[in-house]
Amino acid sequence: MNVRRIVTVVEEIRTEGGRAVERPARIAVVAAVIENPWAGQGFVEDLNPGIEEHASDLGALLAPAVLDALEAPAEAYGKAAIVGLDGEVEHGSALIHTLKFGDHFRKAANATTLLPAVEKRGPAGVVFDIPLKHITDATIRSHHQSFEVRISDAPHPNEIVIALAAAAQGRPQQRLAPLSTEQ
Amino acid sequence: MQERMERPDESIGLRKLVLYRDVVFTEAGDAPARPARRASVAAVVRNPWLGTGPAEDLLAEQERVAPVLAKLLADRLIAALGGVEEIEAFGKAAVVGTAGEIEHAGALIHTPYFGNLVREFLRGESIICFADTRAEAGETLIVPLWHKTHAATRSHYQTISARVPDGPRADEIVVIAAASTGPRPHPRIGDRMTDPVVTTQNLEVVPS
Repeated sequence: MNVRRIVTVVEEIRTEGGRAVERPARIAVVAAVIENPWAGQGFVEDLNPGIEEHASDLGALLAPAVLDALEAPAEAYGKAAIVGLDGEVEHGSALIHTLKFGDHFRKAANATTLLPAVEKRGPAGVVFDIPLKHITDATIRSHHQSFEVRISDAPHPNEIVIALAAAAQGRPQQRLAPLSTEQ
Repeated sequence: MQERMERPDESIGLRKLVLYRDVVFTEAGDAPARPARRASVAAVVRNPWLGTGPAEDLLAEQERVAPVLAKLLADRLIAALGGVEEIEAFGKAAVVGTAGEIEHAGALIHTPYFGNLVREFLRGESIICFADTRAEAGETLIVPLWHKTHAATRSHYQTISARVPDGPRADEIVVIAAASTGPRPHPRIGDRMTDPVVTTQNLEVVPS
């Protein structure tokens, strides 16, 4: 796997809606900019060999890194695959929509739910939003949130950005009634 | 200062902090001889001069706000890059929201209350290079960096981008400190010591 760059973004919200957040709200993202394993090969029918070769390595690389960057236990998480203009969205999906990728994060974060995801194709510097949900119960409304990322100079047309996101809490100033109150 | 450091959210109107760190593993297909880590840290604060005019004296607030930002941002940069001794290049920047003046951005980064302190915290000697602008939230600013003790060291001329998706609001200022642990990935454009003498007299093809 040819990794060109690894980018880390950590946001810490101290006030929201004009009021102090009780505990500074932290969200971290770690993104690897890699060469698209299927670049230059035309339409590849069987993506499994590439998935076998790279998906687990990517999960193993990103999962500990994003938890390190968060500096706190994760309560919500999500993932992203942003494909450069010469690739297929299917290439990015191939690398992240497999247990071989996500299980590294689930194990490291003591999580059980599926990781919500964004997959898109775009030019270098494209803005993307990573959805995050609670790590053990995807219906916990306080933890539904998303995080905006932009990496200048990535992905190039023959690259893919693969990212994991982790939040140490739900939304700052979350105060919506839980789903159960409407059922 | 101590009290302001402990409660920056209230004392300087700090809304959020955004760290961006970038590590290059390969560039143009090859690993750099000296892989560098680059980082920027952005603080979104309330513009303390909102609603004042060009006659306003900026000193009191810059003296109160800028040192808190210098300490906050330098501490985060040092932690993100693995220690102050790792840092070789630095830079700074500010983006003022649309209800402020570019002078307000300058007041928070161009005076000794920020610049001298950041230089001291990062153990540098050079003037700190900078970028500043007035913009809507989400503007990407390219922050220039150069060597912290030998500013003319050409291998360390580099930039890092900084961006806060929802800042600055019109009444806010984003203040940024940035640093790098090394040179560009494959520096090979010489230096002042190795440059030939280039003048209009000794060039064969003189641009006109």
